[in-house]
Amino acid sequence: MPLLSVRDLEVRFFTRRATIHAVNGISFDLDAGQTLGIVGESGCGKSVSSLAILGILPKAGRVTGGRVMFGDRDLLTLKDSALREIRGRDIGMVFQDPMTSLNPVLKIGRQITEVLFKHLRMDKHDAIREAIALLERVGIPNASDRLDDYPHQFSGGMRQRVMIAMAIACRPQILIADEPTTALDVTIQAQILDLLKGLVEEEGMGLILITHDLGVVAGVCERTHVMYAGRFVEAAPTDLLYHHPRHPYTLGLLRSVPRLDASQKEKLIPIPGAPPDLTVLGAGCSFAPRCPYATDRSREVTPVLEEIDDPSHLVACWNPVSDADASAVAVPVERGRS
Amino acid sequence: MSIAEAQAAELSLERPSGLWRDAFDRFRRNPAALVGVSLVLIFTIAAIFAPQIAPHPPNQQVGPLSTNPAGPGGGHVMGLDEQGRDLFSRLLYGARLSLLVGIVSVGIGLAIGLVFGALAGYVGGWVDTVVMRVMDLMLSIPSLLVAIGLVTLLGRGMVQIMFAVGVTTVPIFARLLRGSILGQREADYVLAARSVGVPGRRLLLGHILPNSIAPVIVQATLTMATAIIEVAGLSFLGLGPGDPSLPEWGKIMADNANRLESAAHLVLFPGFAIVLTTIGINLIGDGLREAIDPKLKS
Repeated sequence: MPLLSVRDLEVRFFTRRATIHAVNGISFDLDAGQTLGIVGESGCGKSVSSLAILGILPKAGRVTGGRVMFGDRDLLTLKDSALREIRGRDIGMVFQDPMTSLNPVLKIGRQITEVLFKHLRMDKHDAIREAIALLERVGIPNASDRLDDYPHQFSGGMRQRVMIAMAIACRPQILIADEPTTALDVTIQAQILDLLKGLVEEEGMGLILITHDLGVVAGVCERTHVMYAGRFVEAAPTDLLYHHPRHPYTLGLLRSVPRLDASQKEKLIPIPGAPPDLTVLGAGCSFAPRCPYATDRSREVTPVLEEIDDPSHLVACWNPVSDADASAVAVPVERGRS
Repeated sequence: MSIAEAQAAELSLERPSGLWRDAFDRFRRNPAALVGVSLVLIFTIAAIFAPQIAPHPPNQQVGPLSTNPAGPGGGHVMGLDEQGRDLFSRLLYGARLSLLVGIVSVGIGLAIGLVFGALAGYVGGWVDTVVMRVMDLMLSIPSLLVAIGLVTLLGRGMVQIMFAVGVTTVPIFARLLRGSILGQREADYVLAARSVGVPGRRLLLGHILPNSIAPVIVQATLTMATAIIEVAGLSFLGLGPGDPSLPEWGKIMADNANRLESAAHLVLFPGFAIVLTTIGINLIGDGLREAIDPKLKS
């Protein structure tokens, strides 16, 4: 049985002017010790999905359908008090911007021990010792001297380590990392990704890594789902996805990544157009307006994820691209691999 | 040594500093704020040590009864009043009243205002609408008028005045805190705290409030100056304490308003006292604002 099983998750935002269809029926499973990448451009619904799983959507957002099974419980039907017990204890989350995700007026020791008090009912002495151990675990030098420091006394990379320490404080079974390296320098990115990979290997956590950066996914995730306009358009083991992309959007993403091994004359090929307006959810493939392979059928009937070539490779496309179309693309520089 | 380690080492060499400490450092380097602190300090010392400093008790007759009391000189630095009492001594004791009035009325206003502001900002929805419309209603009536109404309702007296003035400051604090909380409620660190299961009440009291309180503290200081003026004003209008022996600054001015030509010192000296105290408090408030305003933070 998978650790986490999401089925047909649907999230909408209700504003005075319009309803935004942010997530439109995504399904995936996460096993213990597995790393799953969710890739897509800004606004495709990747962050919203993770907030919905934890039940911390902003006020305007509501889950309008689907199930999120954690063990034998559906997180979407749990009361907030029960969900609060799971958040932080069983499922931890790391956010994008470490500069703003830590409370600026609280000492970091206090922010970490708060989680330990809440979920593990530790006494002060144990909590402080555990907090030091956690900070050491995430690679913060002189951990015991830094408990009394405020967030602004840490660099961006160090703050992200503190965030990770908070998220893993109770040894959660699942860690959701939402663009954990986007706000960091490239050198620090690799360190943080290594840290996350190490945690998955040693603690046997399931990791959901949300990013727009294909290089990050390439280095860390076994399996990758490509998200577009609130749906998964392609899902496959990462290597397969990079070497044999089948969805035109995946191909477009891979082509727009700069590569070190390309000749200088070679130009990046951007995906034309802009992501669709999520206030109107029409029939047909959402990517059709930007897709060179689109046909009338693409514009009329919404494709669903179906097996292609291999049981582990799913694509939602009426006209999947072939290896010949994809031949011009090589795997991007794998930043996360050390 | 990796870059991260180097950065960490460099950081740990710095003097330990916190948010409030940085603010204090900025405050300390602001000359205007220091002038304010000195002024307020002088008045505070005067208030605390009034019995030691004052040459006479505030209500002791030390000179002749006179409709044309003597001005400064003759052993009385600020002159005498119509009952032959030493004005300087009376003003020293009056400092106690004025500072007390400032602190108590702002305290009342803060206590009520913070509760309403936190409710409106954090709970939102209809609670927000109801609370804020009531606050708007209070703000739409001039605060002096509200205070006069309340004093009329509750009766004359020092306590009543402090309460009345305190109530008029409630909407200021409520609105300020609500706005500040609204700005923080959706902040990333709040989301992060929710993601580790911090419950609602702790979220508000432990995370959101400490980040929203700074502008309220600044405003409280500034409001304290206004409160002192308003209480003096109410006294001046004859709504002050009925007891003629109380050396309240505004009351002394009111009692002697018709002697401005013959004995100007009886109006001018308490006037100066009020002006200097409020200027001092205002300078501190402005200094605090500059020291902790997030927009001015580097």
